[in-house]
Amino acid sequence: MQGVVIPISMVPGDSIIHRINPLPKLAWAFGVLVISFATRNPLILSTLFVVGVILILVAQVGNAYLKVAMILFPISLTLIVLQSIAPAFPKPWTPIVSVGPFTIFQEGIYSGISMLLRIFAMTTWAMLMIMTSHPSDIFTSLQKIGMPYVLNFILTMTLQLLPILQNEFAVVLNAQKSRAMKGSGFGAILPSMVPVFVGAIERVQQLSISLESRAFGSSGHKTSYRRVRMTFWDILLIVLGIVFTAGMTYWIIVDKSLDWSETMVFHPAFAIGLVVFATLGFLAFVVIALRNVLQA
Amino acid sequence: MSESKPIIEFKDVTFWYGQNETEPALKNINLTIHEGDYVALLGLNGAGKTTLQLCINGVVPNNILGNFEGQVIVDGKDTLETPVREMAKIVGMVFDNPEFQLSQMSVGEEIALGMESLGYSYEEMVETIDEVLDIVGLQGLTERSPFGLSGGQQQRLSIASALAMRPKILVMDEPTSNVDPIGKEEIFQVAYELNRKRNMTVIMAEHEVEVMAQYANLVVVMHEGEIVLQGTPEEVFSNVDLLKSLGLRMPQVAAFGNELEKLGIMTLNGHYPVKLSQAVETYGRLFEKKAG
Repeated sequence: MQGVVIPISMVPGDSIIHRINPLPKLAWAFGVLVISFATRNPLILSTLFVVGVILILVAQVGNAYLKVAMILFPISLTLIVLQSIAPAFPKPWTPIVSVGPFTIFQEGIYSGISMLLRIFAMTTWAMLMIMTSHPSDIFTSLQKIGMPYVLNFILTMTLQLLPILQNEFAVVLNAQKSRAMKGSGFGAILPSMVPVFVGAIERVQQLSISLESRAFGSSGHKTSYRRVRMTFWDILLIVLGIVFTAGMTYWIIVDKSLDWSETMVFHPAFAIGLVVFATLGFLAFVVIALRNVLQA
Repeated sequence: MSESKPIIEFKDVTFWYGQNETEPALKNINLTIHEGDYVALLGLNGAGKTTLQLCINGVVPNNILGNFEGQVIVDGKDTLETPVREMAKIVGMVFDNPEFQLSQMSVGEEIALGMESLGYSYEEMVETIDEVLDIVGLQGLTERSPFGLSGGQQQRLSIASALAMRPKILVMDEPTSNVDPIGKEEIFQVAYELNRKRNMTVIMAEHEVEVMAQYANLVVVMHEGEIVLQGTPEEVFSNVDLLKSLGLRMPQVAAFGNELEKLGIMTLNGHYPVKLSQAVETYGRLFEKKAG
């Protein structure tokens, strides 16, 4: 199972971005999310994406980011394929070229490219935040601005439980193999689920007794051991993030010329090439992923 | 130690786990533990050791519901009327599986968890974390992930987390059952020092009779929910036949004395040595006599 899990976690480091408080990073990642959903303009989306990548490089988390992008890219290629033949646009659609029963539409290519860029702009900024902040710091910061303590605990616990369950899964699979049961492929995964989940329930019961024995869930004032520093620059960054997001969103809503869906015309050869590339890219990914799963 | 004041009192405690259970998990338990006692709880799996221990901080019957009769008074508080999280300041609990008790991202946060809930200040937490890590011998590991530690270290971290709330009583349920031999030794050592140097009351369920005979001043033997024997290690381990019938082992030095007695080599009248030091003395005298 190891190969199937996407490695998204903090990459330790001492870059300038690592040293920023998680809240401004969260504010900017959220801002980019809002802007990305507000517009389809490829120039704005790709600018956000490129700036995100530059910051990823500044933070020196490029390798970890690349691993995620390698999985994300082929999956998001399906958007181009789907959008090109059935655009998420009000009709009428402008056909570019027809291949057999399929027609590729101008709006579809435009929308597919926008969605791909949108996903990459959002995830790049989200990855930047996740890969440069300690999870505990993120949760503690969120708790400071009003997230309930219990939710903080649930999130922390979930992050801890995932690798443990993964290990337990491996143990159960090995146990199945040693009893001459099928030890690989989808056929082996299903029967292994039951012991893993039963084990998880037992673990959670034990943990809840243990937590209760340590005064967890007391009413009254709670304090936090983890201290996250908030400097003047962090607050400035948050303010800038909010202003930038609001300004961009306002501009996108007001300036109708940012809608390039009709002005950006694609050559039929480009359209066919893009769709074929997206289809092949996605299929190749599925084949490789399936092989990995079956071998694991 | 019997001069010191009672800190835990079980009064006619009977407990059934479910409404429909016919056999109670605890039957008419009467037990008095004094401040500074080191209590060894012996018994086979299913004898009721865990249930008895869970009564001490009130998890039974406040969190684990069932039919509860009788009364448990811990440090002057009735467990039926005191929430478990209040009891946490008096009773520290350590369970058998170290991994199942840990949940945080770093050793420091793990220890701080209880203190956060009780609203300790940051400075207090840092000070306490250093202090308890020092007690259990895990200095300098504050930033490490609990899940990257060895079993013995994890269990000592569980002890540290319990100690952070400065309890008077430390209850340990088979704390060494998932730990390698070196880890076991470390845990016994920590418990021993807490008991001797800090006068902490320790209640430990354990299968290692030699270790228990060495450290405990009160041995309680349970069988099918009942206390069948209690007394000093010397008193309890003189009941050879009863222990055997319960499927329990004696410390090897005591078993050795019992065998010698059966062979007619020595008459001990049930006063078997239970600790190594006692054995050296008792059997040393025998060898001297034979040689002389």
